[in-house]
Amino acid sequence: MSLFNRTEVIDQNFTRWVASGEFPEAKTELKLHQNQINKTDLISIFESQVISRHMDITARLLKDKGDCFYTIGSSGHEGNAVFGKIFPFKDMAFLHYRSAPFFLERSKQLPHSTPIYDLALSFMASSDDPISGGRHKVIGSGELNIPPQTSTIASHLPKAVGTAFSIDRAKDLNFSESKLDNNSIVLCSFGDASANHATALSAFNTASWISTQGGHAPIIFICEDNGTGISVPTDEKWIEYNFSNYNGIKYIKTDGLHLIDLIIKSKEAEKICRINRLPVFLHMKTIRLMGHAGSDIEVGYRAIEEIEKDERNDPLIHSARILVENNCLSKDEIIALYEEKRKQICHVFNFATSRPKLTTAKQVMSTITANKHYLSMNKYPSEDFRKTVFGKEFERIKHPQHMAKLINYGLTDILLSYPNTVVFGEDVAQKGGVYNVTVDLHKQFGSRRVFNSPLDETSIIGFGLGLGHNGFIPIPEIQFLAYLHNAEDQLRGEAATLPFFSEGRFTNPMVLRIPGLAYQKGFGGHFHNDNSLTIFRDIPGLILAVPSNGADAVKMLRTAIREAYENGRLIVFIEPIALYMTKDLHGEKDRKWVYKYPDLKEEIRLGEFKSYGNGRSLTIITYGNGLYLSLKAKKEIERKSQKKIKVIDLRWLSSINIPKLMKSIGNCKNILIVDECRRTGCHGEGIYLQLNEASNKNLNIILHAAEDSFIPLGVSATVTLPNKESIIKSAMTLLND
Amino acid sequence: MIKKRIVLICPGRGSYTRNTSNYLGHYGYNEKKHIKWIDNQRNKADLPLITELDSQIFKAKSHMVGENASSLIYACSLSDFLTIDTNKYEIVSITGNSMGWYTALSLSGAITKEDGYFLIEKMGSMMKDVIIGGQMIYPISDDHWRVDTKVNEMVLSEVKNVGAHVSIKLGGYLVIGGDKSALDILYKKLPNKGEYPLMLPYHAAFHTPLLEPISRSALQIIDPSIFKKPIIPIIDGRGKIWSPFSTNPLELMDYTLNYQVLNPFDFTSSITVALKEFCPDLLVLLGPGNSLGGAVGQIMVKNRWLDIKSKKDFIDRQDADPYIISMGIRDQRSNL
Repeated sequence: MSLFNRTEVIDQNFTRWVASGEFPEAKTELKLHQNQINKTDLISIFESQVISRHMDITARLLKDKGDCFYTIGSSGHEGNAVFGKIFPFKDMAFLHYRSAPFFLERSKQLPHSTPIYDLALSFMASSDDPISGGRHKVIGSGELNIPPQTSTIASHLPKAVGTAFSIDRAKDLNFSESKLDNNSIVLCSFGDASANHATALSAFNTASWISTQGGHAPIIFICEDNGTGISVPTDEKWIEYNFSNYNGIKYIKTDGLHLIDLIIKSKEAEKICRINRLPVFLHMKTIRLMGHAGSDIEVGYRAIEEIEKDERNDPLIHSARILVENNCLSKDEIIALYEEKRKQICHVFNFATSRPKLTTAKQVMSTITANKHYLSMNKYPSEDFRKTVFGKEFERIKHPQHMAKLINYGLTDILLSYPNTVVFGEDVAQKGGVYNVTVDLHKQFGSRRVFNSPLDETSIIGFGLGLGHNGFIPIPEIQFLAYLHNAEDQLRGEAATLPFFSEGRFTNPMVLRIPGLAYQKGFGGHFHNDNSLTIFRDIPGLILAVPSNGADAVKMLRTAIREAYENGRLIVFIEPIALYMTKDLHGEKDRKWVYKYPDLKEEIRLGEFKSYGNGRSLTIITYGNGLYLSLKAKKEIERKSQKKIKVIDLRWLSSINIPKLMKSIGNCKNILIVDECRRTGCHGEGIYLQLNEASNKNLNIILHAAEDSFIPLGVSATVTLPNKESIIKSAMTLLND
Repeated sequence: MIKKRIVLICPGRGSYTRNTSNYLGHYGYNEKKHIKWIDNQRNKADLPLITELDSQIFKAKSHMVGENASSLIYACSLSDFLTIDTNKYEIVSITGNSMGWYTALSLSGAITKEDGYFLIEKMGSMMKDVIIGGQMIYPISDDHWRVDTKVNEMVLSEVKNVGAHVSIKLGGYLVIGGDKSALDILYKKLPNKGEYPLMLPYHAAFHTPLLEPISRSALQIIDPSIFKKPIIPIIDGRGKIWSPFSTNPLELMDYTLNYQVLNPFDFTSSITVALKEFCPDLLVLLGPGNSLGGAVGQIMVKNRWLDIKSKKDFIDRQDADPYIISMGIRDQRSNL
């Protein structure tokens, strides 16, 4: 037998050892009749295990022929088929990539499912694949409540906690958009090595935090511990040491090689989780077979004796022993089953190789946004209702206010209009946020809709993603833009990719509010003044909003919520902190930066920008603080040059409509892009390039952006940034050129 | 020799028609042992012999009533099944429509061929004196065999409004079951489309809650021990695959005598599962007749199976290289 082709060895071992009855010894002594387990249930689970094994074997054979594109299999993890049996399909499951047996077994709960064919298409990256349409080998299904994900870096754990939390919260709030059953729970599986990821630790911490505060997070963390993370061994006791005494999370250990033990422990975990609504850590000890993936030569880093020892403990052979010992099937029947499934899988997989693939960029990109949610916006709240909720503020709404106050009013009306919205984040509840933007909301709507989160950005965003899976429109807040970087992947790797990998079946509707950008007077410091939006520039499908005044902010926020509600979109809403309390534009007490609260029906459409002035000698393109400064400068520029200029506020920084921008620029040849963010990677950089590409005239364009620096403290806080004078200077350079 | 992998489809109650008269005689089945055995049982029970019925001029009154039609259809399907050359073909799964489920049970070995006859005869004879309710068929697909979701929704809504029930999901058709008054109202309400809505003579409200008394008496008179694990996988009227290894015979009995009697039979899912989970080289439609051919074609269109996206694609494929072999069609039968 080949030292390298362990697949063949494992395949042959099975029939040889079952035929000869050379079964490995059980680590756990359990009998079927003592545990009220149906024999046919056990055989059904075994069938799913065998089907999954043949999928792994066949995938590797087809990979060698160039027909299959994924060989990370489930071999060694076949015990997870038991979870597919025990837990009803209505329990949402965020699965580890070695979960084909789970998927196969759960599919049996919906008899019309076709899991073999569907997984075959996924292995072959065919556009017929009903879940990802050929975009990735993922395990997922809308009907079976399995959101697809690659789960390679445990980034699915925070959202699983959010979904678990959402179940009882949705029950309390009783809104029509909720999707999960009131008594359902959430399953979330991952490997032993993945338990080390910061995202995983964030999720455990959040579940524990909720649980110890008396909240409900009915989730079963299933740690499938095969003792190896690709090539790095996990200490035998590492998982147990770390999680057996975790505050607020019940730990249960199970033998992943023993079907009966798995069934008993799963039922125990289910009971605790479903009845008590508490998190459980179900630790499944198992082994890994066939290496990490088809390309992984395990003998390169593990002794052959160790590999053979694991192969001797193949879960399928353990299962065969249990079936024989409990008179479920004879040895001959087991071999017949194994061979029948081999033939079926080979045939279906070979058929699937002929199915079409995605061939054009347009096809690939067609699911970057889903836009499939045919919900329409809720009714506007009545005036009487608003009056009651706004209380003393109701009369003040009529008067012009600064941005922080207007956003606050906007949020109140949104919470009134959409019963499925929740506001949460650090200090947003009783304190009303650092800048009072969420003040009174907690008083108006209570702790169920406005609540504080732990100080963990990953869990805040993950929580939002999870809530979105159950019909919520989450409005989380990250306290400062610089803090987002702590949790970037929750947007980039999780939120934004979900519609892409699920053909739009699953989305992450969310409006993530982030106070940010620089120019705070008398303050400064990088961590509260970060001036970079670069990480949002290249995330496909993400909508980025940067309002520059209170009225726009309210109208854009309404559009953002509507997009999340109706189309499942993900929106990042940047609120320029320096403009929160700004009231004046040109001089003290001119009150040109306070605005009246817009009528409830007013919105600003996606991509709609605003022009100030219609001069043709110079066009300034900007956003956020840049607009405020440019308008200050505009007066001076026009006086100095005796020419009229135009200032364009982009408002939305994603999918900027360049042809429309060109139309607005018209015959103007002088373009000044004022970008308050760091020059390298700023949005202005892209606009500069795109305008040059789009124009057939020789445009004079200057990009006036911030220096590639962090923001210092105190009086130096603005020295690296564009200011009124520097804008005037750049403008005059263009005008005098 | 590599055997072709085939899925067998067993027809339901409407399959023995004027056009299929003399099916047993024509294909020389009359002298077969199993036919003689069936006739022997019918003789003992004082029922018309199937060989006689088969040779007579078709009369609705004698050929379409449950106690005769079911046995005739079973005899034809079983006879066709026994002619399949298992050296050339591997039967990877068996499914059927409505009454065809009972046939599938028998052909798969989940019950014996003899018990298959008794089961079918008993289930077919239970409404000998009074037929409970009736069935009507109505198309939900367009001329290209693509299901029109608006029509489907309209029909489902009307069915609900009049208190009728979906009885069978049959590709591009819905078979609706209900009591006579509900069906009469529905008949007037549904827009005319050629011969549709079409009432199905001598059919009861199969697969609806109206048949609860039938299910109850079936559970009383049919011996549960006749149900075994099938030898060949069978796909039921939900799409569930009953495996030769993991089938629980008691669950199979409960599904057969209880669940499927009272709930819609989703033939569309049965065929979809057969296509996707087995990817057969051919589908073989057992006789008599080929009345399910169109429905199976419509299900292929729905799934874009073999890139068949319309009725025309289906016909072209059948003309060039038939994927569905109807044993009731002589030319196709010779391809087996």
